Amino acid sequence: MMYYVKLGAILLIICAIAAGLLAYINGLTEPIIKERKAKEEIQTREALIPGATFIADKTASGLDFFIAQDPQTNEVIGYTFIAAKNGYSGEIQTMVGLDKEFKILNIKVINQSETPGLGANCTLEGFAKLFVGLSDTELLVDKDGGKIPAMAGATITTRAITNSIKEQVIALKNHLANAPQALAKSSEEVN
Amino acid sequence: MRFISEITKGLVKDNPIFVLVLGMCPTLAVSTSVDNALGMGIAATFVLMCSNIIVSMVKGITPAKIRIPVYIVIIASFVTIVDMVMAAYEPALHKSLGLFIPLIVVNCIILGRAEAFASKNNVLNSLADAIGMGAGFTLSLVIVATFRETLGAGTWLKMSIMPQSYDPMLVAILAPGAFITLGFLMALINMLKEKK
Repeated sequence: MMYYVKLGAILLIICAIAAGLLAYINGLTEPIIKERKAKEEIQTREALIPGATFIADKTASGLDFFIAQDPQTNEVIGYTFIAAKNGYSGEIQTMVGLDKEFKILNIKVINQSETPGLGANCTLEGFAKLFVGLSDTELLVDKDGGKIPAMAGATITTRAITNSIKEQVIALKNHLANAPQALAKSSEEVN
Repeated sequence: MRFISEITKGLVKDNPIFVLVLGMCPTLAVSTSVDNALGMGIAATFVLMCSNIIVSMVKGITPAKIRIPVYIVIIASFVTIVDMVMAAYEPALHKSLGLFIPLIVVNCIILGRAEAFASKNNVLNSLADAIGMGAGFTLSLVIVATFRETLGAGTWLKMSIMPQSYDPMLVAILAPGAFITLGFLMALINMLKEKK
């Protein structure tokens, strides 16, 4: 009996050391990683809609999005948001840039853990190009009757990205149709 | 020289993929292209070296009954530390290798070598074993990936090497292609072994 208590105690000590070490290193690295992610997000947003000023906003359903304005005339030139849905192995996050007619200007997959060589190919430039110029009604994988050709061996990935964007575009459209004055009220400006 | 022979055995005689048949899961997943294979091989070799050294150091103080959970805790902590440090300080490297980090935790080569070698040998030989096994793993991955990428995508390390008219054999990139390639390569190695 005592023997097994001793074994448990040894295991407990080793786990405690490991957990302490991990917590310490996590404390060191987490702020750096967060800061870098935030910086990357701003850079991606600027790459999707170049030369615009971005204003943060939120739909009633809780989707964060940004209104892109022309810095001179303050005219709305487009919108960006992050669409997310589970793919084949974990969540895929895609940043999407729309023009003011809600057609896709460009997309960029910013976070994914899909299979290397198959689903992970969604980060390649050729994949993003498939989406350019499409509106929400055209956003469907070809197997579902839409215009996006599914990647070889990665239909699930393609479908997850396509549907996540489609849902958010529709949500954003509805939000802006119901609250056209939202723009005037929005306050916080980001760079 | 024991040190040298511990390194070279991992390349052919005790090759982790073709002979020991360890670590099949990451092998199937990342051998779709040569650059993925290299990334996985290098990341796994690094973790294997660290874990073999530490397991070899703690072998005297861990009771035999709980050695496996102890090794798993050590390996998982190590992998997580590598992941966090890399994400914070080497973001470019993390972008290309980060994908493989979760796969390394479940890579049974690392646990297999901790159990079969590092827990019974001194630190120096364990390090040699890790280097050899890591090199053998990387080499095998690259060989499998060479076949799969060339046949399935017509490229090698993302460079186009097949003639324009070549129509890629998609099955080579998909999971069945990995099993087929692996089967042929194992048969080849067994054939060479029996001839000796």
